[in-house]
Amino acid sequence: MSRIVVTGIGIITALGDTAEENRSALQQGKTGIGRARFFESRYTKTLPLAEINISTEALAEKLHIDPLAATRTDLLALHSARQAIADAQWSNETLQSSKTALIGASTVGGMCLTDEMYADANATSSNGSGYLQSYSNSANTSFLQQQFNVKGIVNTFNTACSSSANAIMYGARLIRNGMADRAIVGGVDSLSKYTVNGFNALMILSDQLCRPFDVERKGLNLGEGAAFLILEKEEGALEKNKYAVVAGYGNSNDAFHPSSTSAEGEGPYLSMKRALDSARLQPGNIDFINAHGTATENNDETESVAMQRLFETVPEFASTKSYTGHTLGAAGAVEAVYSILSLQHQEVYPSLHFEKEIETTKLTPVVSYNKRDLSHIMSNSFGFGGNCTSLIFSKV
Amino acid sequence: MYIHRHTCISPQPTETSFLEAVTPSAEGKLRAIEPVLEGVPPSMLRRMSKAVRMGIGAGLPLLKEENIDGIIVGTANGGMEDCINFLNQIIDYEEGLLTPASFVQSTPNAIAGQLSLITKNRAYNATHVHNGLAFENALIDASMLIKENAGKSYLVGGVDEISSYNYNIDRLAGWYDTQKSNADLYMAETNATIAGEGAAMFVVKDDAREAVAKLEAVEIFHTTHKDEVESRFRSFLSNEVADVNHTIFISGENGDRRFLPFYATCEYAIGSSIPVVRYKHLTGEYPTSSSFAVWLACRALANQALPDKLYKNEHNLTRIDQVVIYNLYQGRQHSFMLLKK
Repeated sequence: MSRIVVTGIGIITALGDTAEENRSALQQGKTGIGRARFFESRYTKTLPLAEINISTEALAEKLHIDPLAATRTDLLALHSARQAIADAQWSNETLQSSKTALIGASTVGGMCLTDEMYADANATSSNGSGYLQSYSNSANTSFLQQQFNVKGIVNTFNTACSSSANAIMYGARLIRNGMADRAIVGGVDSLSKYTVNGFNALMILSDQLCRPFDVERKGLNLGEGAAFLILEKEEGALEKNKYAVVAGYGNSNDAFHPSSTSAEGEGPYLSMKRALDSARLQPGNIDFINAHGTATENNDETESVAMQRLFETVPEFASTKSYTGHTLGAAGAVEAVYSILSLQHQEVYPSLHFEKEIETTKLTPVVSYNKRDLSHIMSNSFGFGGNCTSLIFSKV
Repeated sequence: MYIHRHTCISPQPTETSFLEAVTPSAEGKLRAIEPVLEGVPPSMLRRMSKAVRMGIGAGLPLLKEENIDGIIVGTANGGMEDCINFLNQIIDYEEGLLTPASFVQSTPNAIAGQLSLITKNRAYNATHVHNGLAFENALIDASMLIKENAGKSYLVGGVDEISSYNYNIDRLAGWYDTQKSNADLYMAETNATIAGEGAAMFVVKDDAREAVAKLEAVEIFHTTHKDEVESRFRSFLSNEVADVNHTIFISGENGDRRFLPFYATCEYAIGSSIPVVRYKHLTGEYPTSSSFAVWLACRALANQALPDKLYKNEHNLTRIDQVVIYNLYQGRQHSFMLLKK
């Protein structure tokens, strides 16, 4: 079977609206987390957030979309998916082939319009709302389907914070099983009152810049973003620029608690192990891990435990959530793009704001930018509901 | 992929009797019979939304009987009622201090997550939420898993609840009509339909022995053009259905006159001699209602018959070898499925 390669990438986060801008911030160790300017919530004054530096209206105008016909989530998805498709230099014919799949992922979907949804959900009579078809988790994928007129398999995942990692895995499997020849895969989430209040109620939001894997970490910062990858069979993409190989993937459920991971990190251990098995690699082959690393008390410790169980010597690792915040359903795809950029440029990006290791596990993430030889990178995404997914990208 | 066991929770009694009397809808809604949940701690039960209760009620009995190597759920909305409860709290209390229970329960992956939590199942676990094609994608996922891992068994299902708020949004969008009823659902020449809910779960394997049915093909696509549906259905039939003898056609017709031409086109394409079975008067409309259609197909193949009142016209079918299902959700999302004995 031909390998599955990444032939296009598109991304928008608080670090910028192109892969180059994102890479540049990562190289310089410049975080995108700060004060939100556009997002409206009483928490914007107290909680750092990783907001994308453009208003919804301006983004709509830039993309030539009627702002009343699309949510911020739809627009972020469109921005990055268009970029990825252009990057892969697909013709319209390729895009609209019945063998082209589109797999999206989102946890918030159109609920970024919290107030509008509240009004519509409680309206007693027709109120002329333009957003009635926009609120669901899948609305942004349907929006992309219409924009691109995709004729193949279309799907949306919501496995909380591992959603877009599962979208990438599903797209690769569709190709491997002959159900698609190529796929647009990724995910998106916008800042929303819904998630800010939800995570705040769980008391896992930090009022300071998040510090993944630090003993003094106080919780996560929420972010927003979208990223899409173009997956194709290597044999059909011989002439093309190929960023990386999708070498392996593993999915598990921690089966412990709806919103926290087991002390022994069983789910994370299994997803990483299964990813290695599917890539036919040994733990020693992994050169770098883009950790889930949310900077919550629970995640960083249990992820560390799981890494220590699987790897005799834990590879170099870092959490780019210290730059982008936690972009939830987009995180798996955003971090896949960062892993791919690392492979392409043979460089690793540092984790920010780390000072002192966690006492029980004593692991230190990479804290400075450096160039190095990288063949295989693992990217972890773990979510509520126990959903864990790990992906492995390899040098072409 | 072979279907071995199945459960169904719907507005109609499905396990004790087999669709003998049809429960009437009320105010344009058909609510599913509340499942009996055994082995679920009361503290957990109290916090569950109806979608989670239905998903657990349908899935748990299947998970308890054998070792399952993965749980795959299709649900457009998951626990929407919890979701909007939390949303209402945010607005009503102006983002004050809220309790997180509704937030945690509101994620659509709570159904598959709770099933794995209760049974300590750490295998593959996925939640597909692509609206009217969420269940079909769950089936596609399961069929790939079966090819990838020989000798394994998977739980796959579709679940959706009527939430008062989501119902409201869909009603404003013109998909539901509170005045419609299931008694004359197919007679009304108006837009919109009745709302429904339910859960159907299946254990699938690559083993034909003692299987109830074989899921031969699933095709999904998006379009608003009738011609495209017709050409894709014709090629589906010519690729997948060699012989139309002893076939029934399960149609997702739901009483919304805007969709009638799509169903009529497919009925015509498969052939006027093929008996047509309808089910939305039993279940109401919901994004994963095609999971009920698959359950119905399994029953038809196992029993070699369905109650006469499900047929659109008189028929003289004495043998059912295969079932073709066509469903259309909200005018854009189409699926074809083929099941065989």
